[in-house]
Amino acid sequence: MIRVFGYLAWCTAYNRTARQLRHLRSPRYVAALLFGIAYLWFMVVAQRPAPAAGELADTRWVELVGAIALLGAVAWGWIFGVERRVLTFTPAEVTFLFSGPVSRRGLIQFKLLHSQLFILFNAFLWTLILSRERFGVSPWLRVISIWVLLTTLSFHRLGASFVRTSLAEHGRLGLRHRVVSLVVLGGVLIAWTWSIAEALPHLADRSGDSPFAFLPALGEAGGQPLPAALTYPFRVMIRPLIANSVAAWANALWPALTLLVLHYIWVVRSDTAFEEAAAAVSLQKAQSLSGRAGRTNTSLAPARVTPPLLRLAPQGWPAGAILWKNLVAVTRTRRLRKAALALLGGGAIVAMLSFEPEGMLAEIAGWFAITWAAAMGVIGPQWVRNDLRGDLMKLDLLRSYPLRGWSVVIAEATASALLLTVIQLSLLLIAYLAFLGNDFMVPALRDRSLLLLAAFAFLPGVNLLGMLIQNGAALLYPAWVRLGSGRPGGVEALGQNLLMMVMFVALLLALLLLPVALGGGTFLLLRTALNYWAALPATVLTLATMAFEAALVVEWLGGVFERTDPATAGIGN
Amino acid sequence: MIEVEGLHKLYGDFPAVQGLSFRVGAGEVLGLIGPNGAGKTTTIRSIAGIIIPSGGQIRIAGHDLAKDPVGAKTELAFIPDEPHLFEYLTVEEHLRFVGRLYGVTGISARIPGLLEEMDLGDKRGALPGELSRGMKQKLAIACGLLHEPKALLLDEPLTGLDPVGIRRMKSTIMRRAAGGTAVILSSHLLHLVEEICTRLLVLQHGRVVAFGTMAEIIASRPGLRTRSLEDVFLALIGQEEATDA
Repeated sequence: MIRVFGYLAWCTAYNRTARQLRHLRSPRYVAALLFGIAYLWFMVVAQRPAPAAGELADTRWVELVGAIALLGAVAWGWIFGVERRVLTFTPAEVTFLFSGPVSRRGLIQFKLLHSQLFILFNAFLWTLILSRERFGVSPWLRVISIWVLLTTLSFHRLGASFVRTSLAEHGRLGLRHRVVSLVVLGGVLIAWTWSIAEALPHLADRSGDSPFAFLPALGEAGGQPLPAALTYPFRVMIRPLIANSVAAWANALWPALTLLVLHYIWVVRSDTAFEEAAAAVSLQKAQSLSGRAGRTNTSLAPARVTPPLLRLAPQGWPAGAILWKNLVAVTRTRRLRKAALALLGGGAIVAMLSFEPEGMLAEIAGWFAITWAAAMGVIGPQWVRNDLRGDLMKLDLLRSYPLRGWSVVIAEATASALLLTVIQLSLLLIAYLAFLGNDFMVPALRDRSLLLLAAFAFLPGVNLLGMLIQNGAALLYPAWVRLGSGRPGGVEALGQNLLMMVMFVALLLALLLLPVALGGGTFLLLRTALNYWAALPATVLTLATMAFEAALVVEWLGGVFERTDPATAGIGN
Repeated sequence: MIEVEGLHKLYGDFPAVQGLSFRVGAGEVLGLIGPNGAGKTTTIRSIAGIIIPSGGQIRIAGHDLAKDPVGAKTELAFIPDEPHLFEYLTVEEHLRFVGRLYGVTGISARIPGLLEEMDLGDKRGALPGELSRGMKQKLAIACGLLHEPKALLLDEPLTGLDPVGIRRMKSTIMRRAAGGTAVILSSHLLHLVEEICTRLLVLQHGRVVAFGTMAEIIASRPGLRTRSLEDVFLALIGQEEATDA
């Protein structure tokens, strides 16, 4: 059977690559490829100064920080259980493999094998990204180290999601089949809680010191027997990456490989046991139900549909319907009402706490909100995708509507830009409230209020430009950009997401250069005459320039939309 | 109402449609038939403005599709074989969405009648994920008919419909045609084509093999032995032996 799977994986990968390469007959794709190669070269080779020979990163800290990062990734998997997408089968695989003489374990092995192509690609990217760092041995050995790390992490998150799913869907039966995993998890949780409670007073004492004093305290806490034992698996995964000789690398690799094999066994065995037991129960249930007459098709039972937040006016700008549709989709896929309530409640609480003399909690919440608002400016356009990236799969339908291309593009991009802006402004508002009663905060309250106003003025435009870049990439390169609501996720996709993000930020900054230069120049010119009121004409000019740029980009992308042939672009039906 | 002149479509070097010209007047139902790969879907999607033709001219209700795409598309409806629906819009919201796109007036009054006609009256609050394949197809058809198009393009419209749905669909098509809509219907169901189409266009390898009423086509080919559309079709595409086998 493994040969059949190998054949399928090879043919699929070969034909997919060949299909992608065929697009290079288009000059647009050739230009993108050349740009990509130049970008990679600039990013990973030319840009960074080579450290002096013998200069090594402090591997102690790399190991500690790496272990903490891995711990976060693992915890995320346990909390959100997102890794089951690895086992998502295509309709063709369901048709041919599920009905064929293939065991469940065989199917899982096939999917795990299949996911290796993606992990290998990202391991290669990470090797490029880290190429100039002076820790670790040769790049070839580093590829292996990164592959081991990413695969182990992927397996762990997959196993965690199995445990979560079986508990959520199969109750007591799932509990029985997950008893070993749950006992181990429970033990680890108790041990972690114990360790943190032990270390917290010591760390709190040092928290006011500089980072140079805090880090050794953290290292010391992490070196205690229990925390050291708990972080051991994570350190094991990091060590091959930072080994500075071939012998050290070989010594560090075998424990990491052992951990990988253990994870593989855990995933394969646990899922098989779970699936087969669940299948047996499903069969019993089906048999007991088959005797009951007059049953309706429960699979078509209606679900509760949230009424839309906004009603669509029957008349108006036609493309407004697309904007409305995308916003309705968001309200039905995200719990916006609950989020809004949580935001209001949270805002009120932090505002009250900020007037407390020891308003540490409000301050922490404030900085957390600011950090996330800033981070959303960079990662948000990849996350929020209720636009052309989702709708291009239905290009046939979009093309049959009586709309000009530019109006489709602006409606689609605006939907995502609006959502992202609302998220960022909400976070900034929380931050503003969190520092409301803080008299020691710099900048002062008046300046913070002005900054918040500036965010209200500029963020919609900045986000619109950002979304136009993302939508433009999907429209210009539909064969190379991932379409649909999902995006490549998980730690194994971190490398390519990071590269895409840096490229996006560079393009956005290029688009913002002219508006910022004109606005800044106007402010400097008029400041002597108008004092701070010079900010008003500067703001207007900046916004007008951004609007002008957006209009140019929309017009151009609208033309691209109208010229895109679904049959030759490889999208739609 | 629908005028096609010298339509060409090339995929690379492969000619999918070659020099196609025809006209469908108000109230006519044109049956587009041909073997797989004959160019039926390419033709119908070119007329719908989805595919960009390599050459030729298409006019819908007097609007040139290339020069005035919005005007032309406002007058037509395209209903594909595979219903494309938005995952997070309910049945009623789909109709409101399409109504806004096409500037339909009095939408609230029109929705109940249309849903009843399509037998979706009790599904107005359902998401597409809760509908069966046939119901999705009915919703796609309802969306197409909402703005009373002057030109109706149907690509295998009966796929997934039950016998009652098929009968309703047939009467819907005939009623629209009687009301002055120009209809192009692509289908492999020859008995359906024979029953409701006023003229036939037979395509093979992207070229017209025959065009006219059933009687005209038979009259132009004295060699045709029977009067069943299936036999005529097989004879036209050179697969007569398939009937003898």
